[in-house]
Amino acid sequence: MPGFKFSNRDAEDREKLFINLYKSTFPVVARYVGKMGGSFDEAKDIFQDALVIYYEKSVESTFELKTNEKAYLLGIAKHLWLKKHKDSSKHVPIDGFDIENEEPAQASDLKILNFLQTAGKKCMDLLRSFYYDHLPLQDAATLFGFSGVRSATVQKYKCLEKVRETVKEKALTYEDFLD
Amino acid sequence: MIETEQIEVHLLHPSEPGDALVFEAKLLLDPELRDKIQWQKEAYRMVKLYGRNQLKQEIEAVHQKLFTQPEHLSFSQKIRRLFTNR
Repeated sequence: MPGFKFSNRDAEDREKLFINLYKSTFPVVARYVGKMGGSFDEAKDIFQDALVIYYEKSVESTFELKTNEKAYLLGIAKHLWLKKHKDSSKHVPIDGFDIENEEPAQASDLKILNFLQTAGKKCMDLLRSFYYDHLPLQDAATLFGFSGVRSATVQKYKCLEKVRETVKEKALTYEDFLD
Repeated sequence: MIETEQIEVHLLHPSEPGDALVFEAKLLLDPELRDKIQWQKEAYRMVKLYGRNQLKQEIEAVHQKLFTQPEHLSFSQKIRRLFTNR
């Protein structure tokens, strides 16, 4: 499906998407992992990580799926399996896509995240839809019940400022933050 | 507010035309602005982590649904069979 894009991305849409992907692709991924000597739990972990990567790629505005999503997901899953079971420094490219290795979250990150989640879940959910789900402005405004794009944007920046201040304040109290 | 928006353009859309030069000049003169940029960058990183964590929970919920609800029994059995008899 070239140029495939999600039309809308509220929680319900995502659930449908993941159920469909599970049904269409988890069997082949599980078969692959099983054949390679892996367990059910390993297949599950790898498939779920592949779904996250697929999702993050597919919401980027520049993303264009050059093959079908089943083949793409299987490709990511194989890549993850090989990476896990071979020399971890070895680079395994997949179908022209490069999966960047990100720094894993630090313990201090999780503390701050925990705080943000408890103190301002509403703001975090709004910011998530803008910066993680890359929801179009109009869709985000509708989803969060704003009267229009402008007021959603104003709230977005207010939330961002709040998070920025919280992150700064908390980070300075956790020593390992800037390591 | 406007400043936060300018920092966003600076960090997330650096190639966009705008008042980039004016902003760069401001940056040289304003250490507080540099500080804000640094923490705004961290804020974006935290939002991404949050988004990813939430998404993982949503995916796990789907997994639980598919592997516990009777309506998906034939699917879950098909998968489980791949890992038995070995």
